[in-house]
Amino acid sequence: MDQSSGKKITRRQFIKGAAVAAAVPLLSDRLPFYGSLAHAAQESDLVIAKTGSPTQLLQAAMAPLGGMSRFVKKGQRVVIKANIAWARTPEQACTNNPELMMALIKMCYDAGAKRVAIWDHTCDNYQFAFSRSGLKEAGQKAGADVLSGHGRNVYKQVDIPKAKKLKTAEVLRDVLESDVFINFPLPKQHFATDLTLGMKNLMGILWDMEQLHKIDLHQCIADINTLRKPDLVVVDAIRILTTNGPKGPGKTEDPVEVVASTDIVAVDAYAAAYFKNPKTGKLYKPEEVRFVKYGYDHGLGEIDLSKVRIKKVSAT
Amino acid sequence: MTRSVSYLRRTIQVLSFCFLLYLILQTAFPLELKIPVDLYLRLDPFIAIISIFAQKEIIWRMLPAFGVLLLVVIFGNFFCGWFCPMGAIIDFFDRVLFREKKRSKPFDDRSLRRLRYGVFIFALTAGVMAFQVMYLLDPISLLTRTMVIAFYPPAIYVYNHLLPQIENILPRSPVILSSIPMPLFKVNLFIFLFFIATLALGVIRKRFWCRYLCPLGTLLSLCSRVRILRRFVTDGCTHCQKCVRECPAGAIPGETPEQCRQPDCISCFRCIECPPKATSFHFGSPRWKTADGVNLSRRYALGSFAFGVAASLVIKANPLQSESGLKNNRLIRPPGSLPEERFVSVCTGCGECLKVCPNNALQSTFLEAGLAGLYTPRLVPRIGYCEEFCNFCGRVCPTEAIRPLAIEEKRLIQVGVAHIDKTRCIAWDTDKICLVCNEQCSYQAIIGDDKKRPIIKEEKCTGCGICENKCPVDGESAIIVYASGVQKKLKPEPNNNHG
Repeated sequence: MDQSSGKKITRRQFIKGAAVAAAVPLLSDRLPFYGSLAHAAQESDLVIAKTGSPTQLLQAAMAPLGGMSRFVKKGQRVVIKANIAWARTPEQACTNNPELMMALIKMCYDAGAKRVAIWDHTCDNYQFAFSRSGLKEAGQKAGADVLSGHGRNVYKQVDIPKAKKLKTAEVLRDVLESDVFINFPLPKQHFATDLTLGMKNLMGILWDMEQLHKIDLHQCIADINTLRKPDLVVVDAIRILTTNGPKGPGKTEDPVEVVASTDIVAVDAYAAAYFKNPKTGKLYKPEEVRFVKYGYDHGLGEIDLSKVRIKKVSAT
Repeated sequence: MTRSVSYLRRTIQVLSFCFLLYLILQTAFPLELKIPVDLYLRLDPFIAIISIFAQKEIIWRMLPAFGVLLLVVIFGNFFCGWFCPMGAIIDFFDRVLFREKKRSKPFDDRSLRRLRYGVFIFALTAGVMAFQVMYLLDPISLLTRTMVIAFYPPAIYVYNHLLPQIENILPRSPVILSSIPMPLFKVNLFIFLFFIATLALGVIRKRFWCRYLCPLGTLLSLCSRVRILRRFVTDGCTHCQKCVRECPAGAIPGETPEQCRQPDCISCFRCIECPPKATSFHFGSPRWKTADGVNLSRRYALGSFAFGVAASLVIKANPLQSESGLKNNRLIRPPGSLPEERFVSVCTGCGECLKVCPNNALQSTFLEAGLAGLYTPRLVPRIGYCEEFCNFCGRVCPTEAIRPLAIEEKRLIQVGVAHIDKTRCIAWDTDKICLVCNEQCSYQAIIGDDKKRPIIKEEKCTGCGICENKCPVDGESAIIVYASGVQKKLKPEPNNNHG
């Protein structure tokens, strides 16, 4: 008894704590001076920030989720899976927005990250993709390691226990071993899978991406996502590619939005509606993108957006 | 003081060789070095003369080579002994492995010394007639090629295996270094063996290759006949034979050490280490006649000439080179290459383009392009594809066999056209979704039909081969690029340039 009283919580303490924890968010709306506490608790599951500079958008999107300090603790290693797959310029919207990426890295460091690494296994030659996209320079300027998965030594062969088809794969070691994993996708039209969204961005943590096409692309995309759920998804929808995806160049649109969430399926369900389905002539429904559907079947998140607490904020 | 000249020469040789290695390593992305990475090749007068003959127009990049030639005329053949990186490595191996034994009889090499002139006449004749097998003997081209094809990949292999150790040494932790994809070259064994053979010739005599075979050395020897900086021997000579033994070029005849075979002298100044101090070098009027010059009979010279002519004619009659229609349509030349016949006569096979290619797409031919096209570059898409925003191969080609093109121009050069093997294509043969080729195509030359099966738009296809490279089908790709004969320029499309 003496032993446990020192370390364990007594029943009384627990009830007190629980009561406070329950009361604070309830009171916070009515009591404006509790506003700063609101960051510690989460108001919503998915935040859409509109209109503003990339930095403002990111800050606006992160605040209702509880700020970056909710995800990144002091001294942690952060891995961001960006989209640097192609040797295209930032304006062509085939790769991430450099300014947004810099803001994201800075935010991680401000939250106390020990080291931030940006990873991608590029489709074009990594040297050309990294330099033409401007992302290597941007990432290094913000103090991150911008790393390419062109060498097989940075991968680790792992089993994917929950997978339906892709039972085993070689996955970036750093993604598996890091403390915090952030998925940083860019929505694009994609001829083979209709759209490329957050879940598909994870293909870039694999050594053998082409192999997936031989098995079943949509199911494999869902399968990889069961391996490590991202702690945070930040969707770069400042400019999106609507034709000739994923490599472009094609037509682009500027929704000027940043979407942040912890739920990858909800994010993809939301981002799908940026695009018009050529078959129906209407905006994509989440179920129409098969890998999103399979991700939901895997229990990775919520596909029905009416069940997700969505918050829209303006950055300016 | 005399010793210090010898040390100085050795130091310069080592530095020269290391500089060549440095330049070869710098022949890579992002290619921003101020010095041309193919500097040594551009300074090679033998390549300059033959490639300008074959190109039939002035190659501006090769003009510095004539400066070297001019210096040789004044100072004698200083290149071989001081700066030639091949000479440096041969000297090194001769010193380390092949100590020359003391001979009871002086080595009679008169017939051998004739050989280099025979080889040279043969090479020049064949070269002018556009048969370039003799580029294979050019020391600079030979050394660059060997380093790139035979030694660079093993070096990468070793580096990749040492990576875990390197990561531990580096201070910032955790540092993650990707291993470098190992460059692969199919002909590496042949090139390696040839190189080892040239080094092994040192068993017979020091600097055997340089003395009796090297065509560049022969050219420089011929030019140094009229040199002004000359060797003088005073009457103090005691015939101690030290200089005869020491001379790495064998230019001092044993019977008359006062004289030397001036063309063979490589200005190493080793003979200044003369016990009675009788030898010195200073400027003097040119002397055409030298001791015991090579006795090139008319028959020998004509024979070499005729052999060169005959060889090049035989090579030209090869079905791959002629208009017989037996062309190898898998032989895709890098974008910007000269038309095939001129390409094989101007390309020195130095391997610079193979090294610089970021995707290891350029491979050395063996006999795919006929004997005349030995060790010339070809695009092998299954190994690597031609990167869209890269024009490096043209920028490093010393003889402009691959013309230097601006990126925008290079992006419009059609080197070949892709074709789909529908019986093997995943999308055509099964109901699976693939379209990797469509996704990867940089030029939007592959579209998907309503069933998501790929279709090629030939008018947009540049033959870069990214589709063939990335095709997930095992073994041979289901989409294959075939050479389009003469490279042509596609019409620029607004969508192709930017968008």
